[in-house]
Amino acid sequence: MIRVFVTGVRLQLLQLMRSGFDISAMLVWPIILASIAFYLLDAKESPRLLFAAALGTAVMMMWAQVIVGAGGSLDNQRIFGTLELLVAAPVPLVATIGPIMIGAGAFGVYGLVVTLLWGRLLFGIPITIDNWAAFAVALPSCVIAIGLLGLIAASTFVLYRSAFALGIAMQYPVWIVCGLLFPLSLLPSWVGPISWVLAPTWGFRAIREAALGGSAWSSIGMCWVVSIAYLAISLVCLTYFERLARARASFRLA
Amino acid sequence: MNDLRVFFTCGVTSFRALFGWVNPYVFVPILVAYPIAQILFFSYLGRSAGVESDAFFLIGNVFCAAAVASMFGMGQAIGGERRFQTLPVLMASPVNRLVMYSGRAVPTVVLGFFVAVIAFVCGAAILGVHVGQTESVALVLALLASSFTCAGLGLCIGSLGLRGRSVGLFADVLSGGLLIISGANVPLEKLPDAVQSFASIVPLTHGIEAARNVAAGASLGDVAGLLGTEVGIGAVYLTIGLVLVTVFEREGRRTGAFDRF
Repeated sequence: MIRVFVTGVRLQLLQLMRSGFDISAMLVWPIILASIAFYLLDAKESPRLLFAAALGTAVMMMWAQVIVGAGGSLDNQRIFGTLELLVAAPVPLVATIGPIMIGAGAFGVYGLVVTLLWGRLLFGIPITIDNWAAFAVALPSCVIAIGLLGLIAASTFVLYRSAFALGIAMQYPVWIVCGLLFPLSLLPSWVGPISWVLAPTWGFRAIREAALGGSAWSSIGMCWVVSIAYLAISLVCLTYFERLARARASFRLA
Repeated sequence: MNDLRVFFTCGVTSFRALFGWVNPYVFVPILVAYPIAQILFFSYLGRSAGVESDAFFLIGNVFCAAAVASMFGMGQAIGGERRFQTLPVLMASPVNRLVMYSGRAVPTVVLGFFVAVIAFVCGAAILGVHVGQTESVALVLALLASSFTCAGLGLCIGSLGLRGRSVGLFADVLSGGLLIISGANVPLEKLPDAVQSFASIVPLTHGIEAARNVAAGASLGDVAGLLGTEVGIGAVYLTIGLVLVTVFEREGRRTGAFDRF
């Protein structure tokens, strides 16, 4: 299982690094979104606010990479006829689809580097990490939590033939609800509880508090709590949707 | 008469066959839900920063929605032929290229406009932005002008499909760039001078400015110049696109690139 998982993550990262679409998207989109945030928030006003915006943009890219990249990966598996082989492999489906999500989330770290470099070079944002130890733990915790949230979505993608489209549509709503670039207080009060169950909320808080100061460890802990919950939910969903897709014989339908 | 038949038949058939987003399971998430969520995201970001009004972001992002539909649609109308391996057959046909590509552009312009209207109505309802009947007419004209310009740029992108596979990559990068360069989400005066100069030759910039002026109380006559400039820019892109498809078709025949996948 561990060998399958590690090989899966490595293959996913290799594929992403050879994909012109993913490389350019991960280079261009963080710059665009971060620039909009920097110009709107005004670079001279508050460097700390801009640093937080840069981190928020990075987490946005992680989620985008997981949800769009994962949807696209599953669509491609379907088109190339390899989804059936993945499902038929003598390991649980979570061991073959999970690495796609975690690999995509890890690829989002590249977006973090691009965003911070862009902010530093063009807008002069000071990049100072308050607590390096917490930051070093927060980053992988965020990647894993977001990847596992993507795994729940992927379980439905196994059944849904237009996974890529659904993945694209799920980017902005999560960015909004998790308060990655603006405070949740601007949104209706019922949005708050939704944000609590979404990994990007805790991942962003963990990274931001580790970088800017604050109680990062409690947010890191929440990343792990939601990760365990996501894993449990995705196992149930994957089993159910896999059985449904087998019954409908829909794996080959592109 | 034959040209007219090709214009309509080619346009409708290619749109139905190649534009994969016609499927409602794809159309609704990408062309309805995505633009509305984008409008809300940037409107709330604007509120948080205390910059501009909801109407500013609503109008800007509605035009971006039209751009996505028009550019990807037009890009796919050519790039999709390679994916389905029908490009050699298409290139062997004796039809007039101007008529064929123009016919393919029309459905994407209509689609871009249609998508933008849905996004505008839903976005305005959620954000509580009110636009009067008189202003709506001018907004419709501005949207049509920008959809046409984006289809022109889409033809340039689609022409790359005659040489390579990654049409979607260029459309994605350009549609992302338009979010900022066209002034859709950042007031143009906040951008560096070089970007402002560049903004004057990209699609959407003048259409968005015209629409915002109308929403602020300007008459259709006041923004006629901006709309004319937007259409003029679209005509330039369309011309460049037609030149590119001609050049790339010739190159493709010489190098046998149509069959590569």
